[in-house]
Amino acid sequence: MQYAMVIDLNRCVGCHACAVACKAEWEVPTEYGRNWVKRLGPAYTSHGMAKTYYPGLCNHCDAPVCVEVCPADTVTKTFTCPETGKKKTMEVAATYKDPFTGVVLIDKDRCLGCGACADACPYGARYVNPDLGDDGKADKCTFCIERVSAGLEPACVQTCLSRARIFGRLDDPNSEVAQYIKKGASRLESKAVNIGPNVYYYGNKRDMHLLKATCTPREMPEASLIGKRAMFAKLGKTVTKGAGLAGIIGMACSTLASEDQDNKQE
Amino acid sequence: MAPKLTRRRFLQTASLAAASIPLSKVVGAAEPGLKPGAFAAPGSFKDTKTVTGGVCEMCFWRCQLVGKVRDGRLVKLEGNPKSIDNGKALCARGNAGIKLVYDPDRLKYPLKNVGERGKPKWKKISWDEALDECAAKLQAVTKKYGPQGLAVWYHGASAHYPTAFFEYLGVPNMCEPAFYQCRGQTAMAMLKTLGFVPNEDVDMANAKAMLLIGTHIGENIHLSHVRNFITGMENGAKIIVVDPRFSSAAAKADIWVKIKPATDTAFLLAVMNYLIETGTYNKEFVKNWCNGFDKFKKAISGMTVEKAAKICDVPGIQIIQVAQVLAENAPNVTIHPGRHSTWYGNDFQRIRAHACLAALLGGYEVPGGIQKIERLATGHVHWPEREFEDDYDPDDYRLADVEDKYPFRPPGTPTDLIRETMITGKPFPIKGMVVWGANPIKTFPVQEETMKALKNMDFVMVTDVTPTDITMWADILLPEACYLERYDHIERGTQWNCGDKPEQFVAPRMPLISPMFERKDSVWIINNLAKRMGFEKDIPVKDQEEYVNHCLKPLGLTLEKIRKLDGIYIQKGVCSYCTAQRHHSFPTESGKIELYVEELADEGFSPVPVYTPVPEPPKGYARMVYGRSPVHTFNRTQNNAWLAHEMPENPVWINDKLAKKMGIKDGDRIALQNQDGKISASTSIAKVTPGIRKDVIYLAHGYGSFNPALSVGYGKGIDDQSMNTRNVIEPETGCCGMRINFVRIVKDGKVIDIPS
Repeated sequence: MQYAMVIDLNRCVGCHACAVACKAEWEVPTEYGRNWVKRLGPAYTSHGMAKTYYPGLCNHCDAPVCVEVCPADTVTKTFTCPETGKKKTMEVAATYKDPFTGVVLIDKDRCLGCGACADACPYGARYVNPDLGDDGKADKCTFCIERVSAGLEPACVQTCLSRARIFGRLDDPNSEVAQYIKKGASRLESKAVNIGPNVYYYGNKRDMHLLKATCTPREMPEASLIGKRAMFAKLGKTVTKGAGLAGIIGMACSTLASEDQDNKQE
Repeated sequence: MAPKLTRRRFLQTASLAAASIPLSKVVGAAEPGLKPGAFAAPGSFKDTKTVTGGVCEMCFWRCQLVGKVRDGRLVKLEGNPKSIDNGKALCARGNAGIKLVYDPDRLKYPLKNVGERGKPKWKKISWDEALDECAAKLQAVTKKYGPQGLAVWYHGASAHYPTAFFEYLGVPNMCEPAFYQCRGQTAMAMLKTLGFVPNEDVDMANAKAMLLIGTHIGENIHLSHVRNFITGMENGAKIIVVDPRFSSAAAKADIWVKIKPATDTAFLLAVMNYLIETGTYNKEFVKNWCNGFDKFKKAISGMTVEKAAKICDVPGIQIIQVAQVLAENAPNVTIHPGRHSTWYGNDFQRIRAHACLAALLGGYEVPGGIQKIERLATGHVHWPEREFEDDYDPDDYRLADVEDKYPFRPPGTPTDLIRETMITGKPFPIKGMVVWGANPIKTFPVQEETMKALKNMDFVMVTDVTPTDITMWADILLPEACYLERYDHIERGTQWNCGDKPEQFVAPRMPLISPMFERKDSVWIINNLAKRMGFEKDIPVKDQEEYVNHCLKPLGLTLEKIRKLDGIYIQKGVCSYCTAQRHHSFPTESGKIELYVEELADEGFSPVPVYTPVPEPPKGYARMVYGRSPVHTFNRTQNNAWLAHEMPENPVWINDKLAKKMGIKDGDRIALQNQDGKISASTSIAKVTPGIRKDVIYLAHGYGSFNPALSVGYGKGIDDQSMNTRNVIEPETGCCGMRINFVRIVKDGKVIDIPS
């Protein structure tokens, strides 16, 4: 199993309902977000003028760097497949990717609030809630797996006016997400950032061009390279320096969601 | 409030420090005594009660809601799954109702202004004291000046019962900005053409082509309306958007007509003229269902494609293309009626052009066209007829009649007549003003005049939910329960898609939680006011529940019955297609659509739609045009923390080529200065884009709140209304025009001309 989401930009009108519904559902402090809507354009693309949106959230990546950089001590955890009942036991730190559902989750009890995971994410999908625990707790989208397990839709999917958010199983060829991918829904990834995001985007040529040109992460954040740094150090190599933590330079808009008061402007 | 300095925030500043935490120095196990999952929010579906019967009023589309309540606290709002209108969906504002309920700045207690109007000093008083003073002061005004000495500016569902009371009092002049500052012309132009007011009952979901004049669906959010638009788009409708700006709707269009502002009527006339000249209009529909075609045809023959192309600054070939697309897809075309139409003071004629174009194409009561939708009718609450002293008759004091103006006006008295009378005392004094659920300061052009008028009053009474610009002008300020805490409105509607199985629904607003502090509903407030004024015996309903049940009675329904039906009563409906064929006529005098309206000619107005040019921007300025933000409802929602987070300011759209010449970059902090030298009190950011004409500056309306009591919204963004120091009143309707002011940019204290 791997849960995935598709955002249909033809249907999306940029109403921000998804951002607010998620906040309400999960008691996210006002100044942060488990998800976001960036407003893009109007701008020229090679397919004409475009004005579209980047509704973003945690991508529950195939190879999540956030999981790799968590410095908490590991513990043994047993996972159960909700479909088959099969079990799997793994060593996990305070954040992990469920081997069955593919959802990346945070163990809030064990989370240190250090923010390494948030710094490592090339999509800026995590934030640290400073009001939880002593040093804060990392938080992010969970694909509403708790709701899904109870037979409900993710909060953002349910509230969407035009059904622009499609949620389902990648591994089911008859699912709507699989259909969308068949007809060309694609990921926000680049040569340097190719960790397998499981949120896909679908739209006309001009909108997809604008989205990809402005919102694709082009560099892995420094903080994601810890594991790699140690490895390279052993090999006597140095890690190439990037442009700092946030490696995304947008055309006309800042695209990373961060804890700071980031103006999510038109 | 400064964020507490945690290790996380400290590490934020040292960007690589996070990468260098020694892995060995970490505490792995959870501290003893901590409950597992103590830091994880449970989600709104856990340990909550679902309370039904909510009807939204974050805007006025009135989606149906349920609330999730945990330990007496409302934690989430969702669409009512039973709704055939919005279903489980809810827009950003609907979701954000939580932050209205618990807004710490909300009005809590009755307040008395012991300072100055406009510069208030608030003293908390009891309801007894507040209502005693309101009753005494209102009566003092009516005693000295007659009932005509009072006037009311009102808006929203909670104002219906109060206005019924003020009518009973004999107050002749009351005004709803929803008409005179918004959609008055749309209603009246449609009424004069079709014999009824379709509002926005237009079947976009099943259209083969759609024409949107300015209508920026997607930036204006009316849930089921957006859904209709997107469904039509997905069904392959050809979308034509006429807008000086590349709006959210234009971004989904097949054809974007980048029209010069204020010339839309010329565009529409040219399209109609082309259809007639080429014989590609819907001849059968016109023959069977339209009146006055020959006179109409002759009168509009002057507006050729060539002429309009020059006026509108668009290629003639594009005007032809639009006409052809519409003709090819007739009659299943949406000629959107529009909604907010108070643009230039000549808007009645423009909406008449919408209506006539739809007629030439046959776009009525067919899939895709304008519909006459049948909704269930509820009753009304009236106070009994009164015998006034001295043969007083309120009809003798209705200002529009007294001054013999605006013969095609919508209900109520035009705002401007009330305001002018408040200032001049002519033709008779108005000395008492009641404002209920409206914000005249942000709503009416020429704010200086509104403030002058209020200063001139003996008494100003204001009822509201949150502090706004207008509450600063109250002598007595009353805190109202918000829409989630009261009964009042009854939403009546149909299934959201005209092409689906016809159903009708009735959804009375029911409270999802009790009001906190001393907030009260409008029935309680008015009844207690009425008692003090000596009208106890005429009080028609004792409380808000009786009020709503009274209105439900004609349908054989009660609140209890509907509550048991999960808040929404649904029954079989009537298919809206072919209503006219069923009734064998349109509800006009002739039974047909009036292309040529004799009544207009009788009053000295053009009986066919006519284009009237308006003054151009002076050199160095561009026209200021405003619109909607998807996360705000004008100024009402500006203090909502969740919504403000999504769009804290209203970016000012400036053409990129102009901006380059002006030295303005995207994101620069700017203010606006208008043609009369007035500079906006607050600033916003520049949005530099190719998606707007060079002769237009655009921003979303409602920002720039004046009231410091709004800790979130105060001074955020630019108040576009403050730039409207000039006003224009349309002679047919008395509605105003708010796009006739011009602006240039102020950056770092320097005024920058807009290059031509």
